[in-house]
Amino acid sequence: MDSILKVTNLVKRYNGGTLALKDINLEVKKGEFIAVIGPSGAGKSTLLRSINRLIEPTEGSIEFLDQRIEKANKSELRKIRSKMGMIFQHYNLIYRSSVLENVLHGRLGYMGSVAGVFNRYKEEDKQEAIMLLEKVGLEAEIYKRADELSGGQKQRVGVCRALAQNPELILADEPIASLDPKSSAVVMDAIYKNCKEQGIACLVNLHQVDVAKRYATRIVAVKAGTIVFDGQASELTEEMIEYLYEGKEQEMYESAN
Amino acid sequence: MSKGQMPVPETVLVKEKAFAKKKIPIAHKQTRRQQQYFFITAGILFVICFMQIDLSFTQFQAGVARIPSVLEMMMQLSFAELPELASEMVVSLVTAFLSLVLSILLAVVLSFLAARNTTPNKYFGMLLRFLFMIIRAIPATVWVLIAVASIGFGTMAGVLGLIFPTLSYLVKSFSAQIEEVGQETIEALQSVGATWWHIVFRGLIPTLLTSFLAITAFRFEMNVAESVILGMVGAGGIGLLIQGYISFYDFSSLSLGIIMVFITMFTLEFMTNQIRRRMSH
Repeated sequence: MDSILKVTNLVKRYNGGTLALKDINLEVKKGEFIAVIGPSGAGKSTLLRSINRLIEPTEGSIEFLDQRIEKANKSELRKIRSKMGMIFQHYNLIYRSSVLENVLHGRLGYMGSVAGVFNRYKEEDKQEAIMLLEKVGLEAEIYKRADELSGGQKQRVGVCRALAQNPELILADEPIASLDPKSSAVVMDAIYKNCKEQGIACLVNLHQVDVAKRYATRIVAVKAGTIVFDGQASELTEEMIEYLYEGKEQEMYESAN
Repeated sequence: MSKGQMPVPETVLVKEKAFAKKKIPIAHKQTRRQQQYFFITAGILFVICFMQIDLSFTQFQAGVARIPSVLEMMMQLSFAELPELASEMVVSLVTAFLSLVLSILLAVVLSFLAARNTTPNKYFGMLLRFLFMIIRAIPATVWVLIAVASIGFGTMAGVLGLIFPTLSYLVKSFSAQIEEVGQETIEALQSVGATWWHIVFRGLIPTLLTSFLAITAFRFEMNVAESVILGMVGAGGIGLLIQGYISFYDFSSLSLGIIMVFITMFTLEFMTNQIRRRMSH
């Protein structure tokens, strides 16, 4: 299997001087489903956002499909981002727009400014978007305004937007942290199933270790800005988990129920 | 709950023993100090101002004595000037409306260029915000006077003169809203590889449309009030007539003019309130 993302010696230092990431090395192969776990404040979000440069990395290199992300100029970055879907904790939908429009936003990366401004989405893109929505069980919600949906439904729209990009990689930043257990399962299933079907690699930030173990083919554990574990779910020992959440055990139990 | 049942942290108990009579402070120290500074400064300024200006008590007394007779004169009402007043009121409204529409067109683009989180270039945004700060610092009356001086009396001068303060107000309010919507919307569209235009038109404008309309409705109200006053300095409209009545002591027509302005402003405020209420959800 070929590698699609290669992060080498990544460092992120915030303006205040906080060292959020220290020397991260990570390689993602095609179709892998990787869970990134760790306590809050460990740097999971910073890692994901550095990959699509919503946060500018300080040092190191990020290679995606043989292109250096950290060196990309504006239009190159746009092209890279269009091949990389993102799912947010707070869904980040455009709440005044319809569900379908929100999914179609995934196509903007492939469109010129004028076409996007005047809503000139291709008919086949629309069909594709509707199909995606049907697949996650939102066929009845297509023309509702995004703010009329429940949390779980909103996140499924977020998933569809990422899938509509036809990406090689999906970055999911705590996709189920604001959801109840039932919706969480629906959303995680939607992400997992679609990624598997289409061979999309996925990096999911999670703080629920049990969820991570259930879905992930590989688990990466981050603590204080460093990767402390990288391996199969079965290799993740109780001692490791204990070490990871040292002093923050409460977080684990909070999410377990 | 009675005092005895309140759980008191141990550290507080220890401190209480040490200063048995001292009350436990509850306020945020810095906030309280700021408030104190504020009131002390305001107090000192008030005293200085009071001494600085020469307030003549005798003039005040004489003025109070004249109030009944002025009021009596204003109680007369003449409808002779009604047609002219009505048509000039419309001129004032049109002036306000035209300058608003032209300002909106410019403000929608400029505010996205000026807002900190959407400006394509940090320094360009700073320059733009600074420019509008200067424009705002010059009163509307001065802008109209400049316009009158350069293109002559009339409605055109009113529209032109009002555009500057209106535009700078809208840009400031719009970009404040844009900055408040925050990163969520922007990040969502950045992550799919959207262009600046996509982010503005597909993300921010749909989100902000209602608040933009509410701001605009409020600004229309302000513009009408401004254009009435600005008529007095040569911008045309009902202000010019009112100014004339005052100069010629034509109190009966003046009263009608004032009533007319009052009714217009009252109706407008009522209408914009309705618009804003409906926009809020």
